[in-house]
Formats: sequence, C-alpha cells, structure tokens
Amino acid sequence: KSRLLWQPERESFPGKPGMASTRISAQLPPDIDPTKAPIAFGRRALPKLNEEIQSPEPLTQQHALMALCDLVHDPEKVYQAIQIGFVENLKTLLLHHDSTVRQKTTEILCIMAMHNVGRQGLIQKGVISALAELFDDPVDICRKNMHQVFEMMAKFPEGAADILHAGLIPLLMFKLKSELDEIQELILDTLSNCLRVEASEALSSGAITILKQKLTHSSVTIRSKAARVLLAIGTHPEGKVVVGEVIPVLVSLLEDTDPEVQASATGALMFATVKPQGRFSALGAEAIPPLLKLVAGETSKARLSAIKTLTMLAELPEGRRKLLDHTDMFQQCLNDPCEAVKRAAEIAICVIKWKPY
Amino acid sequence: MFIYQQREISNISKYKLYGNVFFTFIPVQSTQLDLFEIQRQREARRRALARKRAKEQMQLRTPEPVEGREHVHVQTELYLEEISDRIIEVDMECQTDAFLDRPPTPFFIPAKTGRDVATQIEEGELFDFDVEVEPILEVLVGKTMEQALLEVMEEEELAQLWAHQRAYAELRNAELAEVQRLEEQDRRYREEKERRKLQHMQMLQKQKETTEKIAAWAFAKRYLTDLIPSVFNNLRESGFFYDPIERDIETEFLPWLMTEVEETLEKKVLGRMMLDSLIRTVVEKRLDAFSQEPLSGQTEAPTEEPGPIDAAPQEADETEAADLPVTASEESDQPVAEEQLSRRISFQLEEPDRAETEDLETE
Repeated sequence: KSRLLWQPERESFPGKPGMASTRISAQLPPDIDPTKAPIAFGRRALPKLNEEIQSPEPLTQQHALMALCDLVHDPEKVYQAIQIGFVENLKTLLLHHDSTVRQKTTEILCIMAMHNVGRQGLIQKGVISALAELFDDPVDICRKNMHQVFEMMAKFPEGAADILHAGLIPLLMFKLKSELDEIQELILDTLSNCLRVEASEALSSGAITILKQKLTHSSVTIRSKAARVLLAIGTHPEGKVVVGEVIPVLVSLLEDTDPEVQASATGALMFATVKPQGRFSALGAEAIPPLLKLVAGETSKARLSAIKTLTMLAELPEGRRKLLDHTDMFQQCLNDPCEAVKRAAEIAICVIKWKPY
Repeated sequence: MFIYQQREISNISKYKLYGNVFFTFIPVQSTQLDLFEIQRQREARRRALARKRAKEQMQLRTPEPVEGREHVHVQTELYLEEISDRIIEVDMECQTDAFLDRPPTPFFIPAKTGRDVATQIEEGELFDFDVEVEPILEVLVGKTMEQALLEVMEEEELAQLWAHQRAYAELRNAELAEVQRLEEQDRRYREEKERRKLQHMQMLQKQKETTEKIAAWAFAKRYLTDLIPSVFNNLRESGFFYDPIERDIETEFLPWLMTEVEETLEKKVLGRMMLDSLIRTVVEKRLDAFSQEPLSGQTEAPTEEPGPIDAAPQEADETEAADLPVTASEESDQPVAEEQLSRRISFQLEEPDRAETEDLETE
C-alpha cells in the first residue's frame, strides 16, 4: 500500500463544536418531515413544486405532492396554483400507476375544492371528467377522495351542472350498489345535490329501486341521505310521480329513532304530497299521526317540513276533517321563534279552515 | 547467477577495428557447476573455436612477414587496452531492500509556549437548562397548538358552513314545497273555475237557444196565421179561382170577336185604300190633262178642283153610304162607334190629301 506523503489538515470549526445554529424563523424548521419536498421561499414555492411534479421520478413527485398538500390549505396558494396551471399536471397525475401519487393528488383536489376559487378553477379545467376515470380505482382512499371532490362540487350550481353534463349520474347510481358505506354516503350527498337541478337521468336509470333499498339500510346516515335524494327527486314534477311509489316506506321512516332520518323523510314526503295522487297515497298510509307527533316536538328539525306536509294533506277533504281536531297544535307553533315556522303554521291553519263555499 | 555479456571478438587488424559489440558465453566461476554444464561449456568452446577457424580461413590474410621482421599485433587506438582472453570479471550484485512499513509520522507537537491556564465550567454556570429550554418549548408547543387550532378551526368553519347550508336548504325546501303546493292549488282552482265557467257558458247557451226557439215559434205562428187567407187572396187575385163561363167567354169568345172585327176593319181599310188610289190616279190624270192646257184650263182647274173635291166627299159619302149597308148587319154599338172613328180617320186621311193637292197646285 502506498501512502501519500502529504495529508490535508483538519479544518477547525468556528465557535464551539456541537452546537446547533440559532436560527429562529416563523416557518417550521427545515427537513422536519423527510417525506416532503423542501418548499422554496415565497412566490417561488408553487412553481418549483410544479416543476417537481412533472419530473419522471415517482419519489420526487410524491415529495412534491405531500408538500403541496399542506400548502393548499391556504386559499391564496390555491389561487396561485390555479394561475400557474397546476391543475393540468394534477389531471395527468390522476392516472399515475403509483397509488400514493394518486391518493395525494385526489387529496389535493379535495382540499382545493373546499375553497371557492379552487372550485371555479376545477370547473374551468374540466377536472370532473378526468376524475371520472378513477371510479374503478382499486385503492379505497383514492375513490373516497374522488367522491368527496364530487360532493363538494355538487354543492353549488355550476358544479352540479358540470357533473350532470359529464353524464356521471348513471355511473354514480350503479356504484351505489357496490361501494363501501362511507363512499355511499358521499355518493348520496352528491346525488341529492345534482338531482335538485335535473332528475330525468336518474329516473331513467332506475333510481327509485336502488333508493328504496337504501331507505331500509342499517346505517342511519345512509337512510337519511337516501331520503334526501328522494327529496331532491321530488322537487321535479316527473319525480313526484315516481316518489309516490315510495310513500309507504317514507311514512314508516317517520317513526325512525334518528331525527335526521325523520327530517329527511318528512322533506321527501313534503314534495311527494304536492300532487293529488301522492296525497291520497299518503293519507292511505296513515301519515297524519306521525306528522302530528313531529310537529308537537319542539326541537325537532322536521317541524317545518311536517307542518308543510300537513298543509298539503289538508288540501284534501278527509285530511281537513282529520286535522280540524288538531288545530290547537298549530296554534302553538305560532309562537315559535323561527319565522318560517310561524308563517307555515299560519298557512296551515288557513288551509285547514278553508271551506269551499 | 549467470551474467550474460554480449561480446564479439572483432577482427583486430592493424588498420581497423570493427565495432565493439561483445558477444560470448563466458562461464561464470561458480562452485556448483554440474558435470553436464561442464560438458556443455566444453562443447561450446569447441564450436566457437571451430567457427573461429572457419572464419579465419575465409578471411583474408595478410602477407607473410618479410625476413627479419615479424608481424606484431599493435593497438592503434587512442588508449591502450590490455587484451586478454580472460576477461576481468567482477561479481556484482544488486538487490532492493524488502519494503518496510513506513513508520507513522510522529505527532507534531509544537513546542510548548506560553503559560498553562485551566478553566472549568461548573454546573449551572453557563445556563440553566430549565429556564433556557422554556422559550424553545413554548415555541414548539405554540406552533403545534397553532397548527392544530388552525386545522380545528378550518374544520369547524366547514362544519358551520355545512350546518348553515343545511338550514338554508331546509328553508328553501319548505319554501319550494309551499310554492309547489300553491301552484297545485292554483292549478286545481283554475281548472275548477274553468269547468264551472264552461258549465255556465253552456247553460247560458242553452238558455239563449231556448228563448230564440220560443221567439221563433211565436213569430212563426203569428206570421203564419194570416197565411191561408192571404194565400187564397193571392190565388184569387192571380186568377186561380175562376168562373168557368166567364173564363170561357174570355178565352174563346172574345178573341173570336176581335178577329172578326179586325177582319171587318181590314176590309174597310182596304176599301178606303182602294178608293184612295182611285182618286189619286184620277187626280193625276186630270192634272196631266190640265197641265197640257194651262191657259184654258186654269179657270177650269179651280172649278175642277172643287169638283173632284166635292166628288171626293161625295164619293166618300157614297162609299160611306155603301159602307153603311155593309155595316148595317152589325148591331152592337161598338162597330158604330168604330165606324165613326173610321170616318174620322178617313177625313183625316183626306185632309192630308187635300193639303197635298193644294201644294201641288201652288207649285
């Protein structure tokens, strides 16, 4: 072995060895989370992450996505992200083969959809149709996030219209049968918001049978949400006819233990009894006693809907006859602090006391 | 060890020396020679000698020396060299030493200068850990709490938003239901109203029809009461009810009568015409006759004139008288009246004739 004759000297440390640098910053200390990419300073943060996302190496992409996930809670960052054009890259990443990447991407889209700016941006870039590819994703969390995005987008009109345009309703209906419970809740929420706008697609894909099944599901939230979907369908004239078939089940749900379920079922009944056929079938299913109970309960959420439903039923002569005995209950409602309940009670009393001559 | 030296014995001549390349096998004096080696060396020597001889024989020889002289080998080089068969040999060896590890360089310990001073940090002199760590901990905990609070606040905000939205949705649903109910009610009432209006319209229509029918019936009845008398009147007036005898007289008798009268009259007229023509011819003849005798005839002419003129009425009277018997058969007043009428007519006829003749005369 040969040895160098000259050996470099050891560097001497400034100050005392072994002490950490005393930098105090408003940001988190660097390198605190090894799974995240380091964020550049200020405005450079997002463009840098944008470039990193496009790199071919999956590890870099994952790190960038994790960092982005935290940044995107801030609405200004969301705005900036959309301006830079993050959304296209995220769209391409949705179809990545690596499940972590997909999961993080959907999570980011989910958080973006929570802000209004994000929602607008997502609609403009047509993310909904891109997300629809993930319906059959094997990873649960991806699907869950995806459905969460849909749910949030459906909450406002352009989003709901977008979902309807993308023709996702039959697909969502189909998925209702086979998905997990959590995801089913999200799907039902999405559906109830979308079907408020237009119900024809759902009706043509046999929604009522599926929803009827869900009305008797063991989970409380699923029951209430299914009733809400029926409510949404019932707001349309052609839907009322179809919901009329489910009225007996809804009446039975009025006596359910959970107030949410009661509220949703009452709402659905409210719309189903607008048409005369619905009224007759509701009367036939003995809907009046449980509704009266709901009105009597001071704190029930279903009060308003119950009063309204009873008003509908009072349009019929038999209903009027039966309700004439119970007008005192409506008189009580007149003292309710809620303005809408008062008005509804007045109208109900008017209708009950109406005579044809 | 063998050392090989290359040597070639050059042809040392008087004049020239060939190169100095040495090439021979020279046995090394070594104590451990083999017999075989010795033999080999001897053979090699013999061969060399043989080669040498062959070479010498082939080579040119210098002429023999002259008597009293002798060829002597002389070195003609610059430096004299002792030439011998035996070469001076010296054994030399060279050998590198076995490598030894380089010994580590000794630490450079500079010479000590200055003074030795010692210091020692006792416990608690530099800093108090518990006191110093507080701000760091505070920051850490604070940051963590802040982050946690932010997240919780975000979730809470979202939950509140959703609750708000749900309440709003409920209200909206209620309002929508109310609207639809009122729509439905309105629709029902409207339809009912339409039906009743229709009914009422139909009733009014029927009423109107009935009154019209009654009015029409009354009017018709009244109109038709004097239908029959008026009809009969009209018929009577238009001659549908007739007396057969009267009709018979009218239809048959009277026309026959008229035709007979006509015939009679025609005859009369014919007679008069004939008369007129006769008169005319006579007058013309007389005119001709009198024009031939103008002087003598002038006085006669006027007398002649009254003559024919008198004759004319006379003739007329004659004819009339002739007619009278013809018409005497007639008994009714009317033919008489008609005769008078015809007389008047003939007078009227004559008067123009008279006027004509007077005119002729004046011409």
